[in-house]
Amino acid sequence: MSDMKRPLPAISPESKPFWDAVQQDKLLVQHCNSCDTNIFYPRRICPECWSKDLGWVEAKGTGTIYSITTTYLGTTSEFTKELPIHVAYIDLDEGIRMASNVVGVGAESAKIGDRVEVEFVKANGDFKLPLFHLIEE
Amino acid sequence: MGKIAIIGYHEVPTQINPERTRWDIAEEVIIGAVKNAGIDKDDVQGFINVAPQAQPDLISQTAFGLLPEHFGFKNVKDNVICNAGGASTTNCVRMAEQWITSGMCEVVLVPHITVQSDIPAEDLITFFAKAPMHQEWEFPFGMTFNGAMALITQRYMHETNSTEEEVASITHALRDWGARDPYSLFHNKPKSTEDVMGARMISTPLKSVECNMLADGGGCLVIASEEYAKKHCKNPVWKLGHGSDFLGGTPIVREDIFWREGYRKSCGEALAQANLSVEDIDIHEIYGAYPFTQASYLEANGICEPGEGARYHAAGHTKLGGKTPCTTIGDATGRGHTGSGVSMAFYCQVARQLRGEAGENQVEGAEKVMMVTSGGSGMNTLATIWGK
Repeated sequence: MSDMKRPLPAISPESKPFWDAVQQDKLLVQHCNSCDTNIFYPRRICPECWSKDLGWVEAKGTGTIYSITTTYLGTTSEFTKELPIHVAYIDLDEGIRMASNVVGVGAESAKIGDRVEVEFVKANGDFKLPLFHLIEE
Repeated sequence: MGKIAIIGYHEVPTQINPERTRWDIAEEVIIGAVKNAGIDKDDVQGFINVAPQAQPDLISQTAFGLLPEHFGFKNVKDNVICNAGGASTTNCVRMAEQWITSGMCEVVLVPHITVQSDIPAEDLITFFAKAPMHQEWEFPFGMTFNGAMALITQRYMHETNSTEEEVASITHALRDWGARDPYSLFHNKPKSTEDVMGARMISTPLKSVECNMLADGGGCLVIASEEYAKKHCKNPVWKLGHGSDFLGGTPIVREDIFWREGYRKSCGEALAQANLSVEDIDIHEIYGAYPFTQASYLEANGICEPGEGARYHAAGHTKLGGKTPCTTIGDATGRGHTGSGVSMAFYCQVARQLRGEAGENQVEGAEKVMMVTSGGSGMNTLATIWGK
C-alpha cells in the first residue's frame, strides 16, 4: 500500500471533521441533532429536515459489503499501479452506505454480505483514506 | 394527436472518425433535418442544443448562438443549451414543447454534435471516470462510471439469482440490433453471448463490450406545433406522453439502486398522460447505457416478473421478432456512445420506426414507442411516448 498515489478528495468545510478524524484513525458519521438521522455524505444541512444543528458520531468501523467489483481497466492513471482494485459499497452498522476499497487478505474473493472493518491507509503521502478489510465473525 | 411532433430528423453514423469535424457534423445534421422536414429554413424559430459532454469549446459555441448565426437562420427567437447528461435530448424536446405550446415558436431545432475521438484518450478516460462520480466520496476510491454500474450489476445478479451469462445475453441482444443498423459503430459486428463472456474484463462482471464505447456522432430533430405539423408534414411523429423521476445524483446514496422505481414512476406517468397501457406499446427504447437497465425496465413495467429481466432477454424476447422488441438502436453497447448523444440517436430511431424507415431493424406495424433516457450516472429516468 505504501506506493499509492491516489487522487485526494476535494475536502469541503462541512466534510473537514470527517477527514481530520480519518487522519487520527477514527471514522465519523455526520448526525442530525434535530431529527436523529445519520447522514452520508456530510453536508451543510440535514437532507431530511434541513436543520443546521449537525454533529458527529464515531462509527464502530464495521459494516457489510453491499456490492463489490474488481476493476482491471479504465481507471485514471493514479490507480494504474494498484490494479486490479476491489471497489465496494459498504453498509456501515450505523446505517449509512459509503464507497471504499476492500484490501488485505482475501480481498480478491470478497463477496456481497461479507463483514468488513475499517483501516486507515496512507494513500498519497501522509494522507489517509478509510479502506476496509475482511473480518470473520 | 399530440401537441408537438418530430417532423424531421437527420443523423450521421456513429463512428470513430476524428477527421469528421464538429462543423462537418453540424452542417450535415442541421441541413439534413430541415430538408427531411421539407420546410423553409426560415420557419425555424428556436434552437435548443444538446450539450456535448467533454467539449468545452463546442459547449460555449452552441450556448452562445454560433449555430443559428452560422447557418443564417433569419427568424430565430432564442438559442439555449441544455445539459442533463444523457437525458439532455429529452429535456431539449420538452423545452421545445414549452416554447411551442406557449406560443413563442412553431418550429424548433434540436441539434447535437459530438466528436470525442480527437480528444486525448487519457483526458477522455479522466473526464468520464470523474464527471459522473462524486469527487470526494467515490473517485478517490477508484470508482469509475463503469465501476459504479458494475457494482449495481453485481447486486442485481445477487438479488435476482441471475447469472453472468444471462446478463451477457442482454448485450448480445443489443449487438444483434446494432449489427443490422448502418448507423451503428458495430454494424455487421454481432456478438454472441459467448463472445461477450470472452471479452476482456473491465470491472467484474462487466466486460469491455458491456461498457460504453466512446465515439463520434450527432443528429438533429425538427420539432413543430400540431398546427404546423398537420399543415406541412405528411408523416409527423407525435409526442403522446411524458413522465419523469429523479433518483439522485450519487449512486452510493441512491435508494433506487436498480432504477426500477424510477422506471415505474416515469413510465406510468407517461402512459397515463397518453391514455395507454404498457400492452399498447409496440417498441420499448431504453437508453440506460448499461445492460442492467434493460432488465430493470422490463421488471418495473410488469413486462416480466420481478427479478426475471435478464432471463427475459436471455430467452430472446427482446430481439427482432420477439414478443417485446426492446432498444432497437442497441443502446450504447450496440451503437457506440456519442457523449450525451445516444439519446439523440434514440429519438432519430423513434422517428425511423414510426415512419417505417428503420430498414433491417424495422418492427412491423409499430405504432406506439416508449423511450426512456437517463442522465449522469443514472440521476433520472425520463419517459416519453411517441405515436404516428
